[in-house]
Amino acid sequence: MSITQYNGSAIVAMTGKNCVVIGCDKRLGQQALTVDMNFEKVFRVKDKLYVGLPGLATDVQTLHDRIRYRVNMYDLEEERAIQPDNLAHMISNMLYQKRFGPYFCEPIIAGLTEKDEPYIMGMDLIGCLSSAPDFIVGGTASDNLYGMCEALWEPDLGPDDLFRSASQALLNAVDRDAMSGWGAVVHVITPEKTETYHLQGRQD
Amino acid sequence: MGLKPGEVSTGTTILAGKFKDCIIIGADSRTSMGTYIANRVTDKLTHVVDSIYCCRSGSAADTQAIAAIVKYELDVYATSHNERPTVKVAAKIFKRYLYENKSRLTAGIIVAGWDHQDGFSVYNLPVGGSIHEMNLALGGSGSLFIYGFCEEMYSPEMNREDGLKFIRTALKLAMSSDASSGGMIRTAIIDENGVQRDDVLGSDVKTY
Amino acid sequence: MVPANRRGFHFDNCKRNELLESKGSITAKFTKTGTTIVGLIYKDGVILGADTRATEGPIVADKNCEKLHRLTENMYCAGAGTAADTEYTTNMIASKLELHRLNTNRQPRVVTAASMLSQHLFQYQGHIGANLILGGYDINGPQLISVMPHGSTDKLPYMTLGSGMLAAMAVFETKWKPNMERDDAIALVTEAVSAGIFNDLGSGSNVDVVVITKDRTDYLRNHSKPNQRVPKQTSYKYPPGSVSVIRKEVRYHSNANQSPAAVVPEVVMSES
Repeated sequence: MSITQYNGSAIVAMTGKNCVVIGCDKRLGQQALTVDMNFEKVFRVKDKLYVGLPGLATDVQTLHDRIRYRVNMYDLEEERAIQPDNLAHMISNMLYQKRFGPYFCEPIIAGLTEKDEPYIMGMDLIGCLSSAPDFIVGGTASDNLYGMCEALWEPDLGPDDLFRSASQALLNAVDRDAMSGWGAVVHVITPEKTETYHLQGRQD
Repeated sequence: MGLKPGEVSTGTTILAGKFKDCIIIGADSRTSMGTYIANRVTDKLTHVVDSIYCCRSGSAADTQAIAAIVKYELDVYATSHNERPTVKVAAKIFKRYLYENKSRLTAGIIVAGWDHQDGFSVYNLPVGGSIHEMNLALGGSGSLFIYGFCEEMYSPEMNREDGLKFIRTALKLAMSSDASSGGMIRTAIIDENGVQRDDVLGSDVKTY
Repeated sequence: MVPANRRGFHFDNCKRNELLESKGSITAKFTKTGTTIVGLIYKDGVILGADTRATEGPIVADKNCEKLHRLTENMYCAGAGTAADTEYTTNMIASKLELHRLNTNRQPRVVTAASMLSQHLFQYQGHIGANLILGGYDINGPQLISVMPHGSTDKLPYMTLGSGMLAAMAVFETKWKPNMERDDAIALVTEAVSAGIFNDLGSGSNVDVVVITKDRTDYLRNHSKPNQRVPKQTSYKYPPGSVSVIRKEVRYHSNANQSPAAVVPEVVMSES
């Protein structure tokens, strides 16, 4: 078994018209044993900027701490809000520094830019950035999520449609993944507000 | 040979011989990555300084890096000692790198050439870091097939034409038996006046 | 706490990861550019070509990634192998070359870039998995140099690298000739990369091309798009009310006309 599958996770980010969503499952396991049913893997960085950290839970927490530290330092040094692409390169650099002893986590960034354009970015565990016009997925259910998203995503979805497409992609993907599930959290980011939905899911 | 996985190798035949009024060095032109030929027109006869050349065999990365370092060191030597380096000096610098890094390197090198002090000389530096002054030096995976031929046919009294024919025939024989040697036959004739380089196809060399 | 300003690679996690591996865990796979990259010299310059597929094991991680990396105005580098390594290695060399250009007040040379790349890769003894084709035009004319992960270099008039190198080389060995015209050369590069795209599973999607000549560089992103997806015949939108929501929170953004960062929890069942 790969170490990235030890705790189980599923994260999806999708772009829409002037909006993005990012969502995750809530399970934390030790292989087949479920330990926590409310372990969120998507974190708020700024009002319109979220980061999803699928992978090994210990590294998820360490990385989240380090990202928060670096973003706070950025705020103090630069005296301006960090933009999504800045954050992506910042995390990418943090990961590539550990090229020969990596964190087992493949971060996903979702947010709105200064001009309120949707931004999503994924990377592998050593910081190779990969952008996409439609969606980014990660975690143990990523293969399932690829399939769901390829079918459900379409251009210029509004926040409500996008929320439903992303949520259905996520819920249906984790239903066929033993390592992730136990409900989901989905953040719908629009220029005015971020709506956070806690979703009902299978509890097995 | 102790190559690392995926490493590019000059799985090679190299040859250098002392003759009556010149030195002739020769090599095949194949560079392989496993069974794939990464370069079929490789130049394994690398100029070091003045009339000193080296023939490279083993890991392409290792031998290229060492040749570049030694070339630099000999340039510094020439300026700081205010004298042209001899083949012996060049060979000993090569040997120092090969010996001190023997656990990390896969490099078999032949250093040959002409200098004012000692005239013609050929040094063989096989993997491991030893150094051997000899009349005729063979190296690389293909050399195993032609020891008998060379033993029988070589004489330091050969003239330039016979020497060139001998080197080319030897390389042709090695290339036909060794899968990791092939391509063209590259040669360089070194004497007091300079270097003359020639490339021919294996099929152009007549045997017997 | 690890100081954030430490430079170079960090090895803090190595012992832990070794332990995890010794206990039977498989360390995760990196994104590879399963790749076909090619390069050739033609009459007026040099052309590089690449496919645009990035893979993670059997999964296509990126359908339209960029494998042609800009080093300077007159030099580009096509990368295959571990995607992060090709990206970071070329970026680092690009910044070193720019500083070199500013210090010397001269256009950087292709051999300079090749030396920097091969010395860097040799230093890391093959652990940095970057297979590169470097192409550029300088005072010595058009040049094409390949750099392998262990640091060896080759100088050739045409070359291919990556998992699709055999398919692409088959095209070059059949059709390449010296002093080709620009359009013919671009077509040949496209054909070679296409051979990789269609015959090698690690390569796919589109063809990127860059043409470097004495006084201009043309980057032709997605020069050929032989794998366009057919439009969906129907929409798979879910109707409102199809997602079962336990709880909803709203956070208004500080720049909107709301109280800053107010979180308004709402308890709703089965909404949206």
